[in-house]
Amino acid sequence: MYYHDLRNNIENFMYIYLPIAEQPVHSLAILGIGAFLGLIMGLVGVGGGFLLTPLMMFLGIPPPVAVASVANQLVAPSVSGVLSHWKRSNVDFKMGTVLLLGGIVGSSIGVILFNFLGKIGQLDFVIKSSYVIFLTLIGTLMFSESLRLILRSRKGKVTRGKLHQHNWLHGLPFKIRFRKSKLYISILLPIFIGVIVGILAALMGIGGGFIIVPAMIYLLGMPTSLVVGTSLFQIIFVAANTTILQASQNQTVDIVLATILLLGSVIGVQLGSRFTNILRGEYLRLILSSIIILVSLKLLIDLVTVPSDLFSVIISR
Amino acid sequence: MRFFFHINLIFLVSILTSNTFAQNQIVADLSQENVKISTDFQGAKILLFGAYDGKKGDDIIVIVTGPKGLVTVQKKEKILGVWVNTRKVNYINTPKYLSISSNRKIDDILNKKTQKISEIGLNNLNIRMQPGIKVENEKQWRKALTRNMLKSNLWSINENSVSLNKDALFRLFLGLPSNVIIGQFEVKILHYRNSKLVSQQINSINVSKSGISAEIYDIAQNYSTLYGIFAVFLAVLVGWGSNLIFRKV
Repeated sequence: MYYHDLRNNIENFMYIYLPIAEQPVHSLAILGIGAFLGLIMGLVGVGGGFLLTPLMMFLGIPPPVAVASVANQLVAPSVSGVLSHWKRSNVDFKMGTVLLLGGIVGSSIGVILFNFLGKIGQLDFVIKSSYVIFLTLIGTLMFSESLRLILRSRKGKVTRGKLHQHNWLHGLPFKIRFRKSKLYISILLPIFIGVIVGILAALMGIGGGFIIVPAMIYLLGMPTSLVVGTSLFQIIFVAANTTILQASQNQTVDIVLATILLLGSVIGVQLGSRFTNILRGEYLRLILSSIIILVSLKLLIDLVTVPSDLFSVIISR
Repeated sequence: MRFFFHINLIFLVSILTSNTFAQNQIVADLSQENVKISTDFQGAKILLFGAYDGKKGDDIIVIVTGPKGLVTVQKKEKILGVWVNTRKVNYINTPKYLSISSNRKIDDILNKKTQKISEIGLNNLNIRMQPGIKVENEKQWRKALTRNMLKSNLWSINENSVSLNKDALFRLFLGLPSNVIIGQFEVKILHYRNSKLVSQQINSINVSKSGISAEIYDIAQNYSTLYGIFAVFLAVLVGWGSNLIFRKV
């Protein structure tokens, strides 16, 4: 009897009632998901944000709460990441600042859009379908890229590219010199990228690492060594701005959910960065991209299959 | 509702102690009148028990009604291969929690007409569409409301859940699900004899948030910007702290 009570108490302790999502969740499950995605973040370098939000939705957390709380938790691994990149002098603060100015504008637009979509009852749909689009895109790109790299390294061929490619985007006005990145480009370009990433961050609860990193490499032509640190730097501010605006405009930030997630993720990130040498990057990316494709498939199936009930109810609080 | 007897608690106690049962009275109590939703809340199980002045064949029906308000029903339609919410209907005056319990099948206790008049049963509730909304096939929407509320465990019919003992005592476990809405819940105990209402009593349960969970919710609602800033501050602190801790490891 005593044993039973004790086990019951432990079981009860495992469940935590989320004050904003207004439902109990298993704390270890959330902690585990946070740690798993932190591990991916530490291993591969790209954030787990874009996997975290869909996983929260699969657990039954309402999409608006999932998006806003994940944005909140993103601040922690980003701060942690920037600090270690800063030590290795891998952050271009000037570029980061320009990007984050765009990001703050973008995330503000995103939160307003979020609020509007919620009012017309299409928020869940927009969140889910943007995930399907972006995850499919990123998953397939990553998958084919890493597969190509693996096949190429098997053949033993090594190619070297240019420092960066010049294209028409570099011809835009308001040019500025970014010494650290060895770039002389229009300020409009990083601002524009910042705005787009900001909107997506607010709408999807992501840091936007998977968009901004390729954009910085291919559109801006930044040195790859600076890309991750600089993108993490701007993500801190975009995620922080999103969190504050989501909290004040939509009251959808669940601090309990975010805290459990971020405790898991900071541990995962540190573990991940310690084990980077065990698995080769290409193989990791191949695995990660397969997970991404699976998640997007699950979301897509949910959107296109005939719902078991065409009707659903919303209970106003 | 029409024969509303409000029984004073002191009066109740005097009945119980004097042991002289007044005719046609119910004495009931709940194991828990205040349900607190705290961080470990997973739903509540409340014991409702009491005594009634019964005869063989009497029936007890217990109706628990939560706060009433707006409930929206949405309908999905296929657009470009994807299922999207396209139409919605607002129902006003809708109970956000409702459980109807009885000692045997309600259809055996009361005929359909009485059920309708007494507003007993999920289809006999005084729920209206918000004025100004026009939809075809109104019944389909109303059915969808009932179906979805049942699915979320916020509405329930529990026939055979009231246990009667020696035509004098009754007992019932009321289950409040973890997604229950906060507010005042009315517990109405109805005592029927040959389909006639003999007596009734009303108790109430107050469901509120408490502890850290309640405070977080309040702060998020009332000091939302401050809450957001604090959430960010906490995340920065954990991120920075983890960096300090793991640097040494």
